[in-house]
Amino acid sequence: MKNNHVFSLILFIVVAMLINITPIFAQEEMTKDQWQEQMTSYKAKQADLQAQVTKLNADIEGLKAQSSKLDADLLACEDALYVMLGVTRADVEAFDKELTQMETRVSELQRMSDAELINYKDELAQLDSRIKEMAQSKICLIPRYGDRVKALQDKITALMNSIQKEKTYTVGTWGKDRDCLWNIAKKKDIYANAWMWPKIWQGNRDMIKDPDVIKPKWVLKIPEGNELSKEEKSAANRYYRNKAAAPAEAPKQ
Amino acid sequence: MGKISKTVVVALFLAGGLLLSSCSNTPSDEEMKQLNDLKAEVSSLEKQVAEKQREKAALEKQVAEKNGKLQQCQSDQEAVKKGLGK
Repeated sequence: MKNNHVFSLILFIVVAMLINITPIFAQEEMTKDQWQEQMTSYKAKQADLQAQVTKLNADIEGLKAQSSKLDADLLACEDALYVMLGVTRADVEAFDKELTQMETRVSELQRMSDAELINYKDELAQLDSRIKEMAQSKICLIPRYGDRVKALQDKITALMNSIQKEKTYTVGTWGKDRDCLWNIAKKKDIYANAWMWPKIWQGNRDMIKDPDVIKPKWVLKIPEGNELSKEEKSAANRYYRNKAAAPAEAPKQ
Repeated sequence: MGKISKTVVVALFLAGGLLLSSCSNTPSDEEMKQLNDLKAEVSSLEKQVAEKQREKAALEKQVAEKNGKLQQCQSDQEAVKKGLGK
């Protein structure tokens, strides 16, 4: 009887172990049920994705057709617009191209300092004249061109004003400001070049009789340009020759 | 003891049978290939859907831009008519 119980216990353990081992093997290899389950799931996904592809293809075809129709409508609209203005597409394209080039050039000029800009005075005058002609074109009746031309005109006018206004400098004292024609010309906001001092001298002959003498509170005109003219060079040479004949101090107040 | 041996043998057969039956419940190689092929097709379809969605979005953007240009052109026509005093 006791043996029976022992055997039953061993039997129970063996059976239990075998039953427990089975799922361990099953984890490594898929069961048929799991296979079936995955097949069903993937087939459903496949069907859903195929339906999505079909719908997307139809949507894409629809959009392509819509895009082609819009191209044709836009072309017809633009043609009608140009007929109204009495111009051709080529005229408008050329106008647009020229305007874009001018906008680029004006942007470059806007980045220059007033001193640099003075060298482009003639170009600015040409740009001003051309933009005024362009403003008269019927193409400017198209708002986007009208607005661009107006904006460019304003920029050119502002640039011209900035170089046309006369620059002046009020002389300080030698003790405090070390102001002499040489030092004034050397200032960054004047010529940034001391050798340009004869330009100030020649531009203010009414006040400056001797370039070595300038007085505090004098308001000197600063002529535009970044090179000495022939007359200014001659005046400077005369000054240096006189100095050499009778050496004295550097020009100062 | 004979009775016990019989019981042990029956139990071992039962357990062995259970083990064997669970082993033979796995899908065949052909079935596994079928499943793998299906998985590959689903993956390819997913890529296709993503690509088509991108294409559709690009076309929608293009159509919206063209619509905007057309509306602009129509409004330009109105402005030109006014400017010409028609």
